[in-house]
Amino acid sequence: MIVTMTLNVLICDDSSFARKQMARALPPEWTVEVHFACDGVEGVAAIKEGKADVMFLDLTMPNLDGYGVLEAIRKEDLPTMVIVVSGDIQPDAQERVKALGAMAFIKKPIDADKARTVLAEYGILTEA
Amino acid sequence: MSAHPAILSEDQRDCYQELTNVAMGQAADRLARLLNAYIVLPIPKISVIESSELNMALRDAGNDSSVSAVCQGFIGSGIAGEAMLMFNDTSFASLATLMQHTGPLNKHAELELLMDTASILIGACIHGIGDQLEIHFNQGHPVVLGQHCDMNELLKRGNNGWDRTLAIEIHYTIEHVNIECELLLLFTEESVKTLNKKIDFLLD
Repeated sequence: MIVTMTLNVLICDDSSFARKQMARALPPEWTVEVHFACDGVEGVAAIKEGKADVMFLDLTMPNLDGYGVLEAIRKEDLPTMVIVVSGDIQPDAQERVKALGAMAFIKKPIDADKARTVLAEYGILTEA
Repeated sequence: MSAHPAILSEDQRDCYQELTNVAMGQAADRLARLLNAYIVLPIPKISVIESSELNMALRDAGNDSSVSAVCQGFIGSGIAGEAMLMFNDTSFASLATLMQHTGPLNKHAELELLMDTASILIGACIHGIGDQLEIHFNQGHPVVLGQHCDMNELLKRGNNGWDRTLAIEIHYTIEHVNIECELLLLFTEESVKTLNKKIDFLLD
């Protein structure tokens, strides 16, 4: 991974409410640049523009859903760490996204504690 | 189906959709564990419709065949509504298999399958939405609207005399098997005013 001064974080969700909720849940002391994408197509484009060192990815989206994004990341070997944030909490959904290369899964609704726990668990928070 | 933006802004509609997304996911999780199957989650449809348009809305959902349905009222914090779960009758054979039902699949057995599924999906969905808005909903007794009937006939029975309602439509399908159902949550026009206040608080 290329070490840059500021970490780029991408929030990819079709709901503006969910994007806002996610952005608010990020640790306040975490110095990152936050970018947004409204569907999977925009999400993949943003990764290619280097806006997604870390990506918070929703699953149910129009145009290209979260599964599609994970497939594209794998197929094109795109540089990003994906944390899936979804309301689809079925055991199968969690297994599928992990199998497709997602690093972690957070159940919606997101809150600050859940976000912090996952970021700390994977050592992402300390990188900042 | 025409929208009535006057009582729902785009931000509010988006927020209802996201709250529903979370609630229907919780409901699907419970059903998935019971059936040991994967429930395919759609993007829920949020609309404000006239009662007379309900018929069309459901037609849009692509269900012209014979259906069976249950409805259940709910109420809490000045908000009242009705949940309706409709099964395509062709779904029952697969549902019986997944539920490990033994014995003949007659009308009585189908009713049991319908009621069991309804209690899971309706309960979890209503409470899932309520939890996020800090509302506790009390549910009434489920009522069978009909078995093996035509959609038009069914809607006449379910008609509650409301003028406009906020309708949340969730079309569940189960992967690899022929099971399709439609969960419809209807809120009275008065309730929408109260609900919108709660939604605006979340959006702030």
